[in-house]
Amino acid sequence: MIFSTLEHILTHISFSIVSIIITIHLITFLVDEIVKLYDSSEKGMIMTFFCITGLLITRWIYSGHFPLSDLYESLIFLSWSFSLIHIIPYFKKNPNFLSTIMGPSAIFTQGFATSGLLTEIRESTILVPALQSEWLIMHVSMMILGYAALLCGSLLSVSLLVITVRKKRKFFSTSNHLLNLNESFFFGEIEYMNEESNFLQNTSFFSPRNYYRSQLIQQLDYWSYRVISLGFIFLTIGILSGAVWANEAWGSYWSWDPKETWAFITWIVFAIYLHTRTNRKWKGRNSAIVASIGFLIIWICYFGVNLLGIGLHSYGSFTFN
Amino acid sequence: MPHMFQLAQEPIVTLCGHLYCWPCLYQWLQLHSHSHECPVCKAIVQEEKLIPIYGRGKANCDPRSRSLPGVSIPNRPMGQRPQTAPRVNMNYVRPNDLDPLTGFMPMAAARFGHMTLSTLFGALPRFLTSSAKNGRTLTLTLSFSSNKTVFSKLKTSENQSKIKGNKKSLQAPTTTNIEAPEPGGAPPVTGGGSDGGTVKQPPPAAAAESKKVGSWKLKGLPKKVLAVLSNLPLAIAEMFAIAALMALGTFVPQGETPDFYFQKYPEDNPVLGFFSWRWILTLGFDHMFSSPIFLGTLTLLGASLMACTYTTQIPTVKVAKRWSFLHSAEAIRKQEYSDALPRASIQDLGVILMGAGYEVFLKGPSLYAFKGLAGRFAPIGVHLALLLIMAGGTLSATGSFRGSVTVPQGLNFVIGDVLGPSGFLSTPSESFNTEVHVNRFYMDYYNSGEVQQFHSDLSLFDLNGKEIMRKTISVNNPLRYGGITIYQTDWSLSALQIMKDDEGPFNLALAPLQINGDKKLFTEPSCLSMLARDMQSIVLYDQEGKFAGVRRPDSKLPIDIDGIRIVVLDAIGSTGLELKIWALQDGTTVVIGGKTNRAKGELSDDMNFLLNQVPEIVDSKQSDIVSG
Repeated sequence: MIFSTLEHILTHISFSIVSIIITIHLITFLVDEIVKLYDSSEKGMIMTFFCITGLLITRWIYSGHFPLSDLYESLIFLSWSFSLIHIIPYFKKNPNFLSTIMGPSAIFTQGFATSGLLTEIRESTILVPALQSEWLIMHVSMMILGYAALLCGSLLSVSLLVITVRKKRKFFSTSNHLLNLNESFFFGEIEYMNEESNFLQNTSFFSPRNYYRSQLIQQLDYWSYRVISLGFIFLTIGILSGAVWANEAWGSYWSWDPKETWAFITWIVFAIYLHTRTNRKWKGRNSAIVASIGFLIIWICYFGVNLLGIGLHSYGSFTFN
Repeated sequence: MPHMFQLAQEPIVTLCGHLYCWPCLYQWLQLHSHSHECPVCKAIVQEEKLIPIYGRGKANCDPRSRSLPGVSIPNRPMGQRPQTAPRVNMNYVRPNDLDPLTGFMPMAAARFGHMTLSTLFGALPRFLTSSAKNGRTLTLTLSFSSNKTVFSKLKTSENQSKIKGNKKSLQAPTTTNIEAPEPGGAPPVTGGGSDGGTVKQPPPAAAAESKKVGSWKLKGLPKKVLAVLSNLPLAIAEMFAIAALMALGTFVPQGETPDFYFQKYPEDNPVLGFFSWRWILTLGFDHMFSSPIFLGTLTLLGASLMACTYTTQIPTVKVAKRWSFLHSAEAIRKQEYSDALPRASIQDLGVILMGAGYEVFLKGPSLYAFKGLAGRFAPIGVHLALLLIMAGGTLSATGSFRGSVTVPQGLNFVIGDVLGPSGFLSTPSESFNTEVHVNRFYMDYYNSGEVQQFHSDLSLFDLNGKEIMRKTISVNNPLRYGGITIYQTDWSLSALQIMKDDEGPFNLALAPLQINGDKKLFTEPSCLSMLARDMQSIVLYDQEGKFAGVRRPDSKLPIDIDGIRIVVLDAIGSTGLELKIWALQDGTTVVIGGKTNRAKGELSDDMNFLLNQVPEIVDSKQSDIVSG
């Protein structure tokens, strides 16, 4: 039991790290302006979106209830939300960075959900009596959509931090964790900078590349703010509808269940993010740090609490054998 | 480009400060018909803005140079004649009272080189022309200042006659208008105004300044407290603290006995090196969410919310609502986004903005538009909502009643008996005297045997025994009566009804056996063991504990165990209703208070504890029967 739990924890840690690395990698793509693969990834995501929609509808029809009753179904819903967020800007003809974040996230979530780790709960189950309510659709879908948007926004903030940190460090300092980590990805950039820095050492700000980078940072900041605001709204609606549902079902609006508490903690952390953005000094760097903390907290809220397996939300728990 | 090698005939200087002779410039402008630009610096040149230079004597006019084949050159523009210099006791705008938006401006002449400003000027004539057609007098002001003087420029509709070389006598300007630029307060004027004009004192600037000072003249402690509370870093720190406390509350198991904490957080081997049970019990972490430290932080956050809303956000709305005009191009250029449109009319811009949903205010050449005032209200709304939630939570924590009861089918309870107050504000109501009778409790099953839904058929009787209400409740479907709400939360098996050797029927009470997670197994501790997994199947074991058989209550098939014939007649369920407080009741009815939807481990412990206390039921023949 311990080993399976440990394995589960390691899986999640590696999942998160790989998400971040893929994000960084794709941002590298953008910085180097390789656009050849752009179209294929967009079209692939659209196909993924339709596939997941079909999957959800099939489960809905087959089981007779909205497909959000346990962890596996919520994971599928999460990857569906990711692909939804991914393709909306595509239809609005808005070239932006969401696709870079959303694509890999959807791929990973979907991959994890359908992987061998969760096989025993993959069959559609019947709803326990506590879940037989119209509130199920509203509350859980809002929460998952909120998680998806907040994850997207906080990933954008993480990438912003990465780029900012890289910009500040002199590129030739060898004792640099970030440099070592990213060296394999940024090889092309290293060579480019080698040539440039000879005569652009101190005036590097004015090179076109650095201009583009500060534009990128601005864009990331802006989009992270917008996406997190949207996710925050969804999260608020989800928490409120959950409270009202709890009152209908169990007689009390709030009962400090671990999952409820952690959803509230997530809400508070992103409220802190929104507040740090009002202050001009803290805007930018500090808000990105807060959003990155939020990224971890969402995962704790979504998965970590389920590992405990207790409380009202125990339908989401699962065990490994 | 034509250049002259002699003195300029009819010299004329452009706004950008370059000197030409009028014929040459005129020809240049005609050749470049799409953009009138200065030959030297490419600045915009407008004919009406050209300034003639008059020397001594008559102009040396060489008729040959005046006309070129095919082009007849009109007369040189006359320039603009400003008003007569004012008298000494005019109102001066002191530099200190200037609103920071416009700031200090150098002398007007140097400003004329600025393209945007000239655009602004350029916007004026058409504007003026159009309103001149309405016969109204237009008043507009542009104020510049240096350290010493105020230069105000005034145009009326009469001045328009000077454009395009029409010669009319210059009328004395009818109004003098010196305006102190100030953030708002000025009503929009679109071309209105009478001949009298207005002379405005610059008081608002001084008032604005004194207002700033006034807020710092704290009249006593409340203002200081308010200022401290509405500090943003403090609010953020409070939110972090609350989040950390809540996280701690989920890691430390809540609501356990002190012994539990002694064992789990021993003093000689503390968790994380310092965290022992002393920390937990003194700080109240075992009941974190009602502990003083947590509630205190919440109260502090509530106070911060109120202070912030009062001091910051309400005034922000007021400021956002005020119209604030920017009176100089430089101030406009300082904005986050700025652009310049040559040859455009500010009226067109206003119309377009209105179409895009902005509220537009046009005062003279200045335009101010805003959109999204609702966004200013949103933070206020959110903060107020949070305060309301806190108030509601406090009220229900101090002024409500709760209870929970497990009632077997066919029995009653009185509502008031099972409810207890949760705080000092709770007062019982009339409906507490109602008696609730459980007519029937049943469950629906799926084909696979899993439970689909729990149902309890309840009847409410008043003091006289008259039935006032009857309803079947289920999970997510409560019963509401007179301020009381009865929820279906859980169920338990209360008894097995069996026949032994054709005697009976006997009611065997059941006690729960906790195996793992939330599954409940009920067993009868006696010579024979009967295990009831749910109401559908009863598993029987003989005296040595070996498996004997399974029976469904409906089938009424007998089973022989150790020479005794047992027929399982029925499994009597009892329905669990969550009334939000739990109470303990002695007696023959199966009533046990328990928080069935929380800490299920606690439920079984409590039930076992109670089962050991309750005396035996008299009419039961089996040994070791415990009623619970």
